[in-house]
Amino acid sequence: MRRLVVSLIAAVVAVSLVPIASAQEEEDEITLRVGLTQDWEVLNPTSGYTVAAYEVWNLHYATLTDKAADDFATVPGLAESWEEVEPGIEYVYTLREGLTWSDGEPLTAEDVAWNINTGRDQGWDNMVSTVGNIEATVIDERTVQLVSSVPDPKLPTMDVYLVPQHIWEPVATDYDTATQYAADDGVGSGPFVITEFTPGQSVVMAANPNYWGWEGEEPPYDQVIFRLFENPDAMVAALQQGELDAAQGFPASSWDALEADADIEVVAGQQGGFDEIAINGGAAEGQPHPALLDLEVRRAISHAIDRPAVIEDLWFGLASPLETISPSADPKWIPEIPEENQFTYDPERANQILDEAGYMDTDGDGIREMPDGTNPIVIRHAVNTDGDLAGSIGDLMVGWMGEIGIGVELEAYDQDALFGVIVDGTYDTFYWGWVPFVDPDPMLSYFTEAEIGNYNDANWFDPEYDALYTEQNQEVDPDRRLEIVHEMLTMFHAAAVYIPMYIAPDLQAYRTDTFEGWVKQPADIGPVMFSNSSPSYAQLTPIGADAGGSDINWLLWGGIAAVVVILAGVFVARRSKSTSDERE
Amino acid sequence: MTSIAMQRRRATVSRVWAQFRSSRQGMIGLAVLLVFVAVALAAPLLADVRELNPVYARAQGNPQWGPPSVFPPLGTDYIRRSVWAQFVWGSRVSLFVGLAATVLTILIGSVVGIVAGFVGGKVDAVLMRVTEWFLVIPFLPLAIVLASVLGRNVWNIIFVIGITSWPSTARLVRAQVLTVKQRLFVDRARSLGAGGGHIVAHHILPNVSGLILANATLAVPISILTETTLSFLGLGDPTAASWGKTLEEAFVNGAMARNAWWYFLPAGLGILAVVLAFTLIGRTLEEIANPRLSRSR
Repeated sequence: MRRLVVSLIAAVVAVSLVPIASAQEEEDEITLRVGLTQDWEVLNPTSGYTVAAYEVWNLHYATLTDKAADDFATVPGLAESWEEVEPGIEYVYTLREGLTWSDGEPLTAEDVAWNINTGRDQGWDNMVSTVGNIEATVIDERTVQLVSSVPDPKLPTMDVYLVPQHIWEPVATDYDTATQYAADDGVGSGPFVITEFTPGQSVVMAANPNYWGWEGEEPPYDQVIFRLFENPDAMVAALQQGELDAAQGFPASSWDALEADADIEVVAGQQGGFDEIAINGGAAEGQPHPALLDLEVRRAISHAIDRPAVIEDLWFGLASPLETISPSADPKWIPEIPEENQFTYDPERANQILDEAGYMDTDGDGIREMPDGTNPIVIRHAVNTDGDLAGSIGDLMVGWMGEIGIGVELEAYDQDALFGVIVDGTYDTFYWGWVPFVDPDPMLSYFTEAEIGNYNDANWFDPEYDALYTEQNQEVDPDRRLEIVHEMLTMFHAAAVYIPMYIAPDLQAYRTDTFEGWVKQPADIGPVMFSNSSPSYAQLTPIGADAGGSDINWLLWGGIAAVVVILAGVFVARRSKSTSDERE
Repeated sequence: MTSIAMQRRRATVSRVWAQFRSSRQGMIGLAVLLVFVAVALAAPLLADVRELNPVYARAQGNPQWGPPSVFPPLGTDYIRRSVWAQFVWGSRVSLFVGLAATVLTILIGSVVGIVAGFVGGKVDAVLMRVTEWFLVIPFLPLAIVLASVLGRNVWNIIFVIGITSWPSTARLVRAQVLTVKQRLFVDRARSLGAGGGHIVAHHILPNVSGLILANATLAVPISILTETTLSFLGLGDPTAASWGKTLEEAFVNGAMARNAWWYFLPAGLGILAVVLAFTLIGRTLEEIANPRLSRSR
């Protein structure tokens, strides 16, 4: 019993202390508090990989060209203008006047050229696909020329994060030193810069007075704190109680409760993120069950997966159907798949396909065998234990495959281990997801032969697809490029190695009584944060900063009163116990 | 074995049983345990195993998050599966893992304890340092690390629990072996020419078996709780529908926020009841094996 009382007191003290702390905070500075559920892992912009880290970089590093909030169009960033000398080949950018880093050092064309040339030569992971063919030359302090050795449809967009040369040049002597640098210098060029990083807990970012976007005015608020929550329910509760101003990545099951809250706005942000069930295509060293190498079997499996049920039960209707992969945050790149070729949920048809292909259950145990009557079709489904829905999908997979006479063995791996298993090819199916960039090129590259053993998690390739990939990579006519991409994705869909489950929204919520000015990217359907360039933060303004002071006092005094009452109660209880002992 | 020894052993068993029967806490524990063993054994009769299959549950038209009033007896979970079926089939996994891990714990602990106590000298010193090494390592972090390195299936979980919880058994058994070893009958057996193996099997083991049995009964609830903890932390076997897995899924899918008490309460109470039953039985056996415990009350 004592432990309970002590924790009660501790809880009361904690509750009453939190408002005191935030009250002091509010006197000095205005803070935007954002909750999230994914750890940052690595904050080095050349090698980090989490969505959480990209969000921090979006605030910390400005880019040469920016992306419009409405439609991702390429708009001026650090460069105020550019001139097209030869389409897809040569561009000359002019920087804004008087740019400086957050530490006051000037930001010049020298910085831009050093980033592009060094990133290309040292092969920085997150830069090489953008600058691999580009040579940057300084013309004067505010002018830089970019020349691509092959036609590049992505130019003039240049959206890689530019790091401060005066800090990085002594550190980044080769690939290893550059990608393993802690990047804890706190010098940036974006609206907010990192002041404190506590791995597994929080990132604190202070407003950068030198950011060009403030246009000489004071930043509207002082800092952003990202707080990591292990448990999404705790994050939802913190948002409801006003301990957070915004929360990203909450579970679909909390949607209704948050939507009903008058002070909270919920957003199901669409930016092309999707989940898939991948079937081992057999290109890695480890081989799948031989039946999976038959297109007919893969088609049958595709028809047996009940995607509408997952959207209804696990997403409460918030996700939208998807037939082939979504390679970009812009939905125009997704081709229309004719209805007769779609993999609609139809277990009867799936059974029929398997029967016709000769995969019969010859020994009557409910599991089909290969056409020669041997080798029962039992597949290994890898469950990613770090994924929120992976466990449920694993259970569903057993059920779906059971309907068509295919056995399933579930094997559990954490994120890292699963990556290794995919590279080795020692699996039959798994469930995972992607969030693509704006340009479809990276996502398309993942299914080429060159990416086997790296990002190609279908372990499938087709020389014809590879040829089309190279073609679109150098096609500067946007309409022709769109056509090629549609052809590639239709081809990839027909191979039935990668069954897209749905476009998964990023579920976000923000309080409407603390900050205003949230911006969706892209317009109407996109998320308000954790998007491709996260434009919200620089445009938010706080609402009525000093409201609620008296409430805090009431809470404080109420808390103290409660502690006194409880202590008195404990004291009285102790006394009566000791007197009864004495009386005995 | 001589008939005298047989008779004596049979007498011991019936004396222990008589003492056990006279203990109310022991009988309550035994009754509760028998109920759960019966549930586990009769699982196919009590609940259709297909109710664990979310595709079947959906095809049956089960409600999602259905409370017991809508879907008796215990409602449904977030993917429409019957909670009753999960409870019934989960009892099998939880009991099996608990018992199997205990067997492993007791086996390792007894062998190490007997060898260390009986052989003594350098062997004892080395074995006890190893035991202490395992004792000082915080148990849960070690179990978590092992479970994530080895991979998640039932046998690995059993192995992890066994390998992390044997040291206290080893120390207890060693202490008992040290006192038994000093008794006169051991010296007599030795002077009659008995070898080490014979002495351990016929004189030491019968005298420490009561302690081992009591210790085993007390190790079961720890094993069950460990399995639950590992499953709750997401380190359990994803294919085994244990009570721990039910709790983990309820937690992860927001049952608390939804007040879906019917989802997590049965598994939680099931664990509580089984752990309590084994503890009551273990205490009673311990008191019988070591009468000083009961006298001091």
